[in-house]
Amino acid sequence: MFGEILRGLGTTFKHMLQPPVTIQYPEIKRPVRPRFKGRHVLERYDNGLERCIGCALCAAACPADAIFVEASENTDEERYSPGERYASTYEINMLRCIFCGYCEDACPTQAIVLKHNYEMSFYDRTSAIYTKEKLLVDLAEGAEPAPRQVEPGTYDRAIPEMEDPV
Amino acid sequence: MTFTEKYAAEIEGIMARFPHKKSAVLPLMHLAQHYYGYMSREAMEEVAAILDLDPTHILSLAGFYTLYYEEPVGTYVLEICNDLACALRGADEFVEMACDKLGVGVDGTTEDGLFTIKTVMCLAACDRAPMLQCNLKFEENLDEEKFEQLIARLRDEAANGRTPPTVVEKVAAYAKSTS
Amino acid sequence: MNDDLVKLTIDGIEVDVPKGTLVVDAAKKIHVDIPVFCYHPKLEPVGMCRMCLVEIGLPMRDRGTGELLLDDDGSPKLNFGRGLQTGCTVRVSEGMVVRTTTEPVKEVREDVISFLLSSHPLDCPICDKGGECPLQNLTMEYGPGVSQMDYSLKMHNEKQVPLGDLIYLDRERCIQCARCIRFQEEIVDDPVIQFHNRGRALEIVTMSEPGFDSYWSGNTTDICPVGALTSSDFRFGARPWELTPVPSLSPHSPAGANIVMSTRREAKSGGRSVIKRIVPRQNEWVNEIWISDRDRFVHHFADAPDRLQKPLIRKNGELTEVSWDEALDLVAEKLQAHSTAVAGLSGDRLSNEDLYAFQHLFRRGLGSNNLDLANRRLAGGDVTAQVGLASGSNLQDLGAGDAILVVASDLHEEEPIWWLRVKQASERGATLVVLNLRPTRLDKYADYVFRYAPGEAIVTVRQLVNAAKVETDTAVDQLTAAADTLIKANNLVAFYGYEGLTYTETDTLAKLLANLLLLKNEDKAHAGQINSGLIPVWPHNNSQGAWDMGIHPALAAGYQPVEASGMDAATIYEAVHNGGLKALYVMGADPVGDGRMPNRGQLDFLVVQELFLTETAKLADVVLPAQSWAEREGTFTSGERRVQRYYQAISPLGECRPDWQIAAQIGERLDMGKPAFAASLLFRDLAKVVPQYKGMDYRSLAKVAEQWPLVGGDDVYYGGTSYKNEAGLGQQWAAAAETDEVGLFEVADGDTAVTTNLPLVRIAALYTPGTLINHTPMLADRLAAPTLHLYADDAQIIGLQDGGETVIQVNGRSLSVQVCVNGHAPAGLALLSGVPWFPGMAEFEIL
Repeated sequence: MFGEILRGLGTTFKHMLQPPVTIQYPEIKRPVRPRFKGRHVLERYDNGLERCIGCALCAAACPADAIFVEASENTDEERYSPGERYASTYEINMLRCIFCGYCEDACPTQAIVLKHNYEMSFYDRTSAIYTKEKLLVDLAEGAEPAPRQVEPGTYDRAIPEMEDPV
Repeated sequence: MTFTEKYAAEIEGIMARFPHKKSAVLPLMHLAQHYYGYMSREAMEEVAAILDLDPTHILSLAGFYTLYYEEPVGTYVLEICNDLACALRGADEFVEMACDKLGVGVDGTTEDGLFTIKTVMCLAACDRAPMLQCNLKFEENLDEEKFEQLIARLRDEAANGRTPPTVVEKVAAYAKSTS
Repeated sequence: MNDDLVKLTIDGIEVDVPKGTLVVDAAKKIHVDIPVFCYHPKLEPVGMCRMCLVEIGLPMRDRGTGELLLDDDGSPKLNFGRGLQTGCTVRVSEGMVVRTTTEPVKEVREDVISFLLSSHPLDCPICDKGGECPLQNLTMEYGPGVSQMDYSLKMHNEKQVPLGDLIYLDRERCIQCARCIRFQEEIVDDPVIQFHNRGRALEIVTMSEPGFDSYWSGNTTDICPVGALTSSDFRFGARPWELTPVPSLSPHSPAGANIVMSTRREAKSGGRSVIKRIVPRQNEWVNEIWISDRDRFVHHFADAPDRLQKPLIRKNGELTEVSWDEALDLVAEKLQAHSTAVAGLSGDRLSNEDLYAFQHLFRRGLGSNNLDLANRRLAGGDVTAQVGLASGSNLQDLGAGDAILVVASDLHEEEPIWWLRVKQASERGATLVVLNLRPTRLDKYADYVFRYAPGEAIVTVRQLVNAAKVETDTAVDQLTAAADTLIKANNLVAFYGYEGLTYTETDTLAKLLANLLLLKNEDKAHAGQINSGLIPVWPHNNSQGAWDMGIHPALAAGYQPVEASGMDAATIYEAVHNGGLKALYVMGADPVGDGRMPNRGQLDFLVVQELFLTETAKLADVVLPAQSWAEREGTFTSGERRVQRYYQAISPLGECRPDWQIAAQIGERLDMGKPAFAASLLFRDLAKVVPQYKGMDYRSLAKVAEQWPLVGGDDVYYGGTSYKNEAGLGQQWAAAAETDEVGLFEVADGDTAVTTNLPLVRIAALYTPGTLINHTPMLADRLAAPTLHLYADDAQIIGLQDGGETVIQVNGRSLSVQVCVNGHAPAGLALLSGVPWFPGMAEFEIL
C-alpha cells in the first residue's frame, strides 16, 4: 500500500517539476498553428495596391452571411486595385462570422486571408462590423498608398493575371 | 468636292447594274477608296448615304475585306503572307525582319510614305514562301538579302519618278474592268 | 390528325409540334435542353456557334416505291447521316428522331465549349454577367471540366470599349454569336453595330453618333450570352445573385411595358434598398421580352437626392418642414373653407388608386367637379371606352390580311414598343397606313403614306373615312385604295396621336376613326372584334387610367357623366389668374414648369403633392411629399386598356406617403371616413364603382400563363435574362362595342384654320428633357436639346442655317434653339423638338 502512495506522489512530484501548461495571457500569448483561422485581413500586392477586386464571391460563399461587398470601378486617376473593379465597401460582421474560411477559399485573388489574430471583443454590436479600413493590411515599407494615380494603360486587365489558375 | 459629286455619273452607272441598291456597295467602296486614297470616315459615310445603309455597315465591310484600307497606305503596300504554311517556312521571322529593316510595325507606313507592311492570309504561293505581294505583284522565295534588294529597287524606282500604280489604283481599275 | 402538326421523337419522347418548328424549339417544348449560344427564339437561326449539334435521324424510304423501310422489329429504319447537325437550323419533319445525349453529341459540346473558352478571359469574378451567364452555365453543365489551354496563351483584346454612354463592350468576352447585331438588324432595324475584321480579330463596332444610337440598345445586354455587352447603368453595381427582383411596370410607357426592378440594399445609400437595374419582364401581349432604353434607364429619379422627404408649409414666406398632421390639417381646413372655389389638377403618371382617391376627394369630399389633368393633350378616352382595342387582343397576332392605321403620331419617339409591334405586324404582312404632317420612322414600313398639309389633318382623315364608306372595285387614287384595304381588312387597329393637333381636333380625330371602325363591311364592323379597335397614343403611362378614374370635369369614374360639369384645365388656369378660384390642389403635375400657369395668380391657397420641388411647388403654401411608383404598389392602365399591377420595390424615402393615401387622409379630415388600409383594398373599392373594372382585383391581375419563348432562370441561355413573368399579365377591360351595339359618333366640322405661312409644331422626342429623365446621368448627352427643324427653302427665307443657334419667341416665351435643316421638316412647316408640349400649331418669331 505504501508503495502505491509513493507511486502516486511520484506522479505528483513529476508534474510539479514540469513547466506549467497555463500561460499568463494576455501578457504572454501562445503561438497558434500555421493553419489557424483567426481574424481576416485584406491583403495588398507588394506595390501597395489592394488585392480585392470586389467580386463578392466571399460574400456568396459565406454560410453565415457575414460579409457585405459593394464594388466600384477603378480609374487611372484613382486606382485601388490593378483590375477594373475594386471593393468600395467591404464589411465583415465578426459576430456572425464562424471562421470557416470559405471566403478565403472563394477568393480568386487571395485578397482575404484568415490570419492569426483571435483577439476580437467589442463593447457594442456596431464595432463588431469590421470595415475595409480595419481589414486592410498596413502598407509595406516604401510601397505607395492606394488609391493612387497611375499612367493610363498600366493596368489593362479585368482582373490581375492569376499566377496559377486551375 | 466630295466623291459623290465628282463621280456622279460613275456612281449612277454602277448602281444601274444591280437590281438591289445594296449590291452596289463593294464597287462603290472601291470608287470611294480610289478618290480618298483609303476608306476614310467621309468615304464610308458617303457610300452609306448613297445606298441608304448605316455607315457602320460600310465599316464592317472595310474591315472584312483586306483590299479596303482604313488607314492611308504608302506607295508600296507589302503584304506578307504569314498563314500556317508560310509560317512553317519562316514567314513570321521574315515579317519581323522586314519590319526591322523598314523601322515600322505591322500595318505601319514608313515616314517617307513609301512602304506599308501588312500581313495577310493565304496568297496561294505556299511552296515559294516566304513571299509577299507588292502592290498585288508576287515576290517569292524571299530572304533577307532578296528583301533588301527589293526595297532598294523600289526606292530607286520611286526616286526616279517611275512609281507604278498604287494598290488602290490597281484595285479600283480591276474592279472597273470586271464590271 | 392535324395536317399542320409533325410528329417526331426527341430522346425517346414523342412530340407533336407545328410544321416548320426548329429542332431546338421542339426540344425546348418538352423541356429537353439543347444548349445554344447564337440561336435565339426571337431571331432567325444562323447556326454559327455549333453548340446545338445533335444527332438527327430521318426515316429511310425505298427509292422506287417511296415506302418506309422497316427494321427487323418493324420499326422504321433511320438514316443518321454522316455527322451531327445543328438543331437550330434544321426544321422538324415527320418521323424524325433526335438524340441529344449520345457520346458524339457530348463530345462535340465539350469541344465547342473548349473552343469558345480558348479566348475567353475567365474574368467571371468581376463580370456583370457572372451568375446569370449562359457561357458560365453551359460550361458547368456541358463543358469538359478541365482546360487544355495554357492560360498565358490567351488572346488579349481591349476590355472597356464604351459603345456610347449606355453600353460597354468587352472585346475579349465576345464569342461572336452576333445575337446583338442580328437583334439590331432584324428586330429593331437599327443596324448601328456590326462586326469588323475577321477570325480572332473580330470585334463589334459602331459608327453612329452618339455611339450605338438606338432606343433598344439595352436589350442586347439581355440576349448577349456572355458579358461582352453590359450596361453602364449596372456596371459593377452588384452581383446578380445578390439582387431582389421586383416585378413592376415602366412609369413612362403608355403601352404598359412590364419590367423587373433589381434592388439591393446599399451602404452608399445609408442601408436603403435601391434600384440597381431594370430589365424586361416577359409579357407577350405587351412588350414581349424587350423594353426601350427609356424604360430601362429612366429610374434614377426614384433614388434622387433632391426628392422631397417631409411635408412643407409656407411660414413667413419660407417653406418649412412640418409634421404630416399639421400639413394635412391645414390642407383640409383650407380646401373646405374654399370649397366653392376649389379645383384639382393631376398628372397622368400616377396610379389608378391615386387618381381615384383624388377625384373621390373632390367629388365626394368637396362636392366639386373642377377636376382635370394639368396638361391634357389627347382626347378620346370616352371614344376608346366604346371602340377601343377589344379585350383579348394581341398586336403580335396581326399579320397578312390585317391593317393598321397610324394618324398624327410618331410612334418611334412616343412609344417605341408600339412602333416595334406595328413594324413587326407590317413585316408579317399587315397593311400599314400612315397619315402625318411629316415623315416619321414608320413610313419605311408603310404600304400607304399620306402627308397632309398643316391644318388639314381632319379633312384628310375624313376623306379617308368617307372613301371607306363607298364600295369600290377600282380605286381611283391611293387614298381610296388605302381606305378600301382598311375596310376590307380582317382586323383593323387604329392608332392616333396629337402631333400638331389641338385637344378639340384630337377629339374629332378619335370620333372619325371610331366611325371607321364602326363601318360595316359585309355586315361586320371591326369595332368589338378581337385584334381590332382604337388605340390612343397617350402621352403618359396612365393617361388611360386618368380617363377611367374620372379625372375629368364632366365624366366621373367609369365614364359616368356628372350633373354639372366643372372647370377644365384651361378654365382653371384662367380662373387662377382672374380670381375665380381660391384654392388649387395639384397632384403629380407641374403646370408652372410646363408653361401652362405663369404664376399662382390670385390663389389664396395652393397645395402641391410631388416628388420634387418643382416650379409649381416652389410657389405653394403646402408641399406634400409623395412616394414614387417604386416605393409602393398600384396599378396602371395601358393604351390597350390592360390594367396591370406593379409592386413595391424599395423602402419609402423619408416620410413620403402614397398619393392615394394623402388624398384619403385629407378626405378623412373632411369626414369621408378612414382611408383604405392598402392599395389593394382601395382597388377593390374602385372596381365596385368603375363598371369596366368589375371583377378585377389584385389577385386576378396577378394571374399568369405560360409564355413562349422561355426566358430567365434555367432558360437564360435560350431566351436571355429577361425575367419570366410570375407576377401577372394584367387584364384588358372590354370596350362597349364588344357587347353592345355602338352607334356612329357625331363629328364636328374641320380643323383649326392655320393663320401663318410657317406654322410651328412640337414633335416628340423619346428623351425630351424633363424632371424625371434629367436625373438619369447616362442619358444626359442624349437628351433632345430644343431644336428647330426647317425645310431648306424655308430656312433660307427666314435666314437661318443648319447647325446655327437662334432665339425664338413662341407662345409668349422665348426659347433658344438649335437649327436643323436636314430633311425632317416638310416645306411650309417648322418643327420643334425637345421642349414641353404645346397644343396645335403655334406662330413663332425669331428674336
